[in-house]
Order: sequence, then C-alpha cells, then structure tokens
Amino acid sequence: MSQPNLAVTVGRDRPVHLKNPVIAASGTFGYGLEYAGQLDLAGLGGLVTKGVSLKPRQGNPPPRICETAAGMLNAIGLANVGLEVFLRDKLPALKPHGVPVVVNLYGESVAEFVELARALDQAPGVAALELNVSCPNVSGGGMAFGCHPGPVGEITSAVRAATALPLWVKLTPNVGDIVPIALAAQAAGADALSLINTLLGMAIDARSRRPRLGNIVGGLSGPAIKPVGLRMVWQVARAVSIPVVGMGGILSGEDAAEYLLAGASAVQVGTANFVDPGSCLRVAQELAAFCQAQGIADVNELKGGLKV
Amino acid sequence: MSTWAQVKENKKIGEGIFRLRLEAPDIAAMAQPGQFVMLRVSHGLDPLLARPFSIHGVDGGDLFILYKVVGKGTRLLSLKRPGNKTLSLWGPLGKGFDLDMQRPVLVAGGMGIAPLAFAAQRLGSQGKEAPLLCGLLSTKGFENLTGSISALVEATAERGRVTWATEDGSAGHHGLVTHLLESALSSFPDSSPCGGVLACGPMPMLKAVAQICAQHKVPCQVSLEAPMACGLGACLGCVIPATGGGYVRACQEGPVMDAKAVDWERL
Ligand SMILES: Cc1cc2nc3c(=O)[nH]c(=O)nc-3n(C[C@H](O)[C@H](O)[C@H](O)COP(=O)(O)OP(=O)(O)OC[C@H]3O[C@@H](n4cnc5c(N)ncnc54)[C@H](O)[C@@H]3O)c2cc1C
Ligand SMILES: Cc1cc2nc3c(=O)[nH]c(=O)nc-3n(C[C@H](O)[C@H](O)[C@H](O)COP(=O)(O)O)c2cc1C
Ligand code: FES
Repeated sequence: MSQPNLAVTVGRDRPVHLKNPVIAASGTFGYGLEYAGQLDLAGLGGLVTKGVSLKPRQGNPPPRICETAAGMLNAIGLANVGLEVFLRDKLPALKPHGVPVVVNLYGESVAEFVELARALDQAPGVAALELNVSCPNVSGGGMAFGCHPGPVGEITSAVRAATALPLWVKLTPNVGDIVPIALAAQAAGADALSLINTLLGMAIDARSRRPRLGNIVGGLSGPAIKPVGLRMVWQVARAVSIPVVGMGGILSGEDAAEYLLAGASAVQVGTANFVDPGSCLRVAQELAAFCQAQGIADVNELKGGLKV
Repeated sequence: MSTWAQVKENKKIGEGIFRLRLEAPDIAAMAQPGQFVMLRVSHGLDPLLARPFSIHGVDGGDLFILYKVVGKGTRLLSLKRPGNKTLSLWGPLGKGFDLDMQRPVLVAGGMGIAPLAFAAQRLGSQGKEAPLLCGLLSTKGFENLTGSISALVEATAERGRVTWATEDGSAGHHGLVTHLLESALSSFPDSSPCGGVLACGPMPMLKAVAQICAQHKVPCQVSLEAPMACGLGACLGCVIPATGGGYVRACQEGPVMDAKAVDWERL
C-alpha cells in the first residue's frame, strides 16, 4: 500500500493545515528553537510555544519538577520571556524552520488576554492562538478562569473580537464536568479546543516530610494521565461541533491513533519530548505505519471511529 | 534525537559506584569536560525520564559515565550488563568548564570527581599542570575508585596530580577537601597566582569553595545539579537562583557557572 495521507485540517472557518496530526505541546517544547538541533522542525504537524504572558515571568521557586509513576509533576509557574522578547527574538527565529507555530497565551485578566491577542494578530508567522485558561500552577488567573463556563466564554469572546487568527481554547481536566465549559468556548467563537492540560497533583518525600515541589502542588502529565485524556476528549468531541486537539500521555503512534478514534482531529505530544527529544517525529512515523498496517489510506478516517 | 549506545562495560569500582562505558562516537567526538548527557536507564514507563550524568571521559568513540547508585534509576542502570544491551541517550549538553587559563586547581567532592577527572585529563593533555583535589567521606570500599581515578588522570595527563582528602582519615589528608584548596591557593606565589578553580560536588562544598575563591580573588567555576527533564533548555524545570534575582537553567546556562552568578543564599 502507498503511504497513507497524514495531512489534517483543524477548524472550518479559520482552518489550520497541518502536514500530519502531531503537534508539540506547550511548555514541553520551549519556543521550538531549543529542539531545532534535535529534529527537523519542518517534519512536525506544528508546535505550540511555551505560554506567553504580557510581562516576563520568573516562575515558581525550585524544585519545579519531579518524576512520578509513569509520569511527572511540574510547577514551572509559567516562566516565560514575555510578549516583547517573544515577538522580537523567538517568533522571527522560528520562521525559517517552516513549521506552523501555535502561540499559547496566558493572561491574568480578560484585558491581558485581549492585549496579547491584539499584539499577536499583527505578528507574522502565527498559525493560531491557544488560550491557556487552564494552568494549575499560578494563582489568580489560569485555572480559576478555566473551571467555569462563564469566564471561559467571556475570555473566548473577548479574544475572538480582538483577532482574526484561529483561536484554540485549552481546557483543564480539573473540573467535575468538562462539557459545559467546552460548549461555552464553542459558543463564544473558539475554532478548536485543546485538551487536556495537566491534572493537579502532589508528591511527598516521607522521610523529610516535605513536598517534592517548591510550589507544593503541581500538574501531572505523561502516560499516567492518558486514560483521563482519552475519556475527556471522547466526552467533549461528542458534544461539540468544532475540532478537538487531544493530548495527555501520548508516547507512541498507537497512542495518537487512540486519541483520533476518541474524536480528536489532531494530537499534541508533551512529556514524551523529555523521554526522547525526537518523540514528535517518531509518533508521526509510527502513526503512518499504524495506518499502513491497518489498511487505512487517510488518517482522517480514524477520527471519531471508536466502536461502541 | 536520542541515539542508541551499546553498553561495553558497566563495572563496579567502589561501594555503590559504577563506571559505564558506552559506544557513542557522535557524543564522544564533541564532548567537553563539564558537559553532560541525558541517559534513559530503561525502555519502560517507570522510570520515565532520562537522568542527567556528567561525561567522565572519552576513549575513541566510547563515552565514560561514573555514577553512584542513589535511587531507582541508578539501581536499574547498575544491573545493565555489557553485550547486546543498548541504552538511549542524548548530548553532549550544557556549558562545560572553560579550560582557557593558566595554573588551574580542580576540586571534587564525592561524585563531583566524574567531570573533573575529564577536565584534568584535557588540561594535562594541553601541557598544563592541573592539580586535582578530591574529597571523600572515606576511601574504605573505594580503593578501586581512588586507584582508577589516580591512574586515569596520571596516565593520560603527564602532569596530572591527584590529592585525596577523607573525612575519616582513611587516606590522604584527614579532613575536608576545602582545607586542601586553601593551602593550595596559599602556596601560589603572588607573581603567578592560581588562574582559576574548577569545582563540582555537593552544594555545601561548592558554597565553601566559592567563598574561599572569593577571599583569594581567584575566579571560580562550579558545576551545579538540579532535577532535569529535557536537558535542552525547554522545560524550565532545572532552574538555579541567579545573582541579582530570577533564575538560570542548569542545563543551558550551566551546569558549569561562574560562582559569582549563583545566588548561594537562595539555593
Ligand atoms: C548535570 C548533572 C550531572 C550529573 N552527573 C552525575 C554523575 O556524573 N554521576 C552521578 O552519579 N550522578 C550525577 N548526577 C546526579 C544524577 O542525575 C542523579 O543521581 C540521578 O538522576 C538519580 O536517579 P535515580 O533514579 O537513581 O534516583 P531517584 O530515585 O530519581 O532519586 C533518588 C535521590 O536522588 C536525588 N536526585 C534525583 N535526581 C537528582 C539530580 N539530578 N541531582 C541530584 N540529586 C538528584 C533525589 O532527590 C533523591 O534523593 C548529575 C546530575 C546533574 C543535574
Ligand atoms: C513542564 C511542562 C510545562 C507545561 N507548560 C504549559 C504551558 O505553559 N501552557 C499550557 O497550556 N500547557 C503547559 N503544559 C501542559 C502540556 O502542554 C500538556 O497539556 C500536558 O502535559 C499533557 O500532555 P502530556 O501528557 O503529553 O505531557 C506543560 C506541561 C509540562 C510537563
Ligand atoms: S532540564 Fe529542561 S530546561 Fe533544563
């Protein structure tokens, strides 16, 4: 059989075309440039930058990461270079790599999200915006917004009005029912939904009786959370009509296929980048091989193909 | 992209201390003392993350890692036997030691010996006298380690010299390696002072070394440790408090840093 088609399009009104459905997830791939020496960025479906805020952020006190069973906790605290340096140094440097760049945004208020979106609307080389309304590691904004349909709708429609760029809204799994929040983002004009962000967790060193993270609590990611990610992607994809970008614990091409079957149009790969810096390309290759072995000519055939 | 390296040797050379020899020609060709690799100790999901290890030396296309068993990952690593076993790793990573100086002094505490033995070899092969001061709690159970380090440094570097300090007095100077450093720095004549100190070891030792160097007005480079995930500067997990506020990444701006750039109070 010939090579299966891997190209996918995320979104209808403001489509984002990807050569394959595998995107590097925010916060695990820096600004992309850190990985340029490790793999050919042009081979990725796309990459999502570390969350960018208006002003630079130093982040949380260390230790910021710790390993857990088949996963890890992080409490980076959205450390980032800030909008100005991002626009001056990072975004232009990504251009020659020819990879769709999705910019992950973090604001502490609706006004900050709007200001960020306005500035990025004018910047060349942005494929889409991903609104992080779901970071568990900062007080004030982030997850506080993301836990309720009202604020998620409010931020989404305010940003929608400020930019013509495709708008992806990234949802937190740390809620009782994710569906009303997904519907609120859709109603407010989101072009796609990204999920899941990390699950709030904690690790303790029993001998020293201390938390293992400086921030005490942090976000759990990696293979340990894949069942939760699959469940939520499945729930949301059934309820909304906009595309879902699925993530949580993807390490292999078959993991990616599972997310597509659950209803995702594309996937993001996060923690796996730490297991092997070449993971995103490998996942895409393995997905192609999986399709070939299954006699699937077009990866889009997998989408929502779960048999229940 | 990570590469697969064959395990050529994984030898116990002290109580809980092993020397790993990996066939990794691409990494070996580029490795500089003070740089490190990210090494996965298993193919499975637990442990999931790679572990950072200093490059202990190179021999042709082979890479040496000297490690101590401290937890699950290093225990699994110690069980790997040569043969058809391969491990995945990426590197060389980070900023290594700046060796461009006259009359350096090298100070190692415990496993800090791993990168400094490599630095001593390189300095020696440049024809520089590079005394290596090593501190251990005890040499009991570590006779092979001390022997192999001394042999390694003194064989490859004509002018290499290793001096030991032990806290129990089992070999060499009875006391801390920082005592050796103080007397070494004092022994340089004013006309040709020590050009720089390179140090790696536990945090309290590094802090003391930085203080001694500041008193003697000698430049000091320290190699620091922090938990790491990517090793590439992307995850921001490995930060060290920096002088003047904020943080720097141990994997990118380090692991070797000017001691003055580190905020020792916040560390
Ligand atoms: C740049 C760098 C170079 C290093 N070089 C060497 C080396 O040459 N030889 C060597 O033996 N070790 C070295 N280390 C430390 C080594 O990475 C840890 O010992 C290892 O990750 C422990 O893994 P584990 O699974 O056995 O332990 P875990 O089960 O993960 O942890 C066991 C204990 O080790 C501590 N620990 C875990 N990770 C680190 C870390 N990165 N630094 C310090 N303590 C840690 C934990 O807090 C815990 O107390 C280096 C670390 C860094 C950052
Ligand atoms: C170290 C680290 C930093 C992260 N930073 C961000 C961030 O800045 N913004 C964001 O939306 N998600 C962030 N995430 C969440 C990931 O993008 C992803 O949603 C999550 O890790 C689940 O995917 P995974 O299991 O493949 O890692 C971060 C995750 C990790 C591990
Ligand atoms: S280990 Fe990821 S930034 Fe240093």
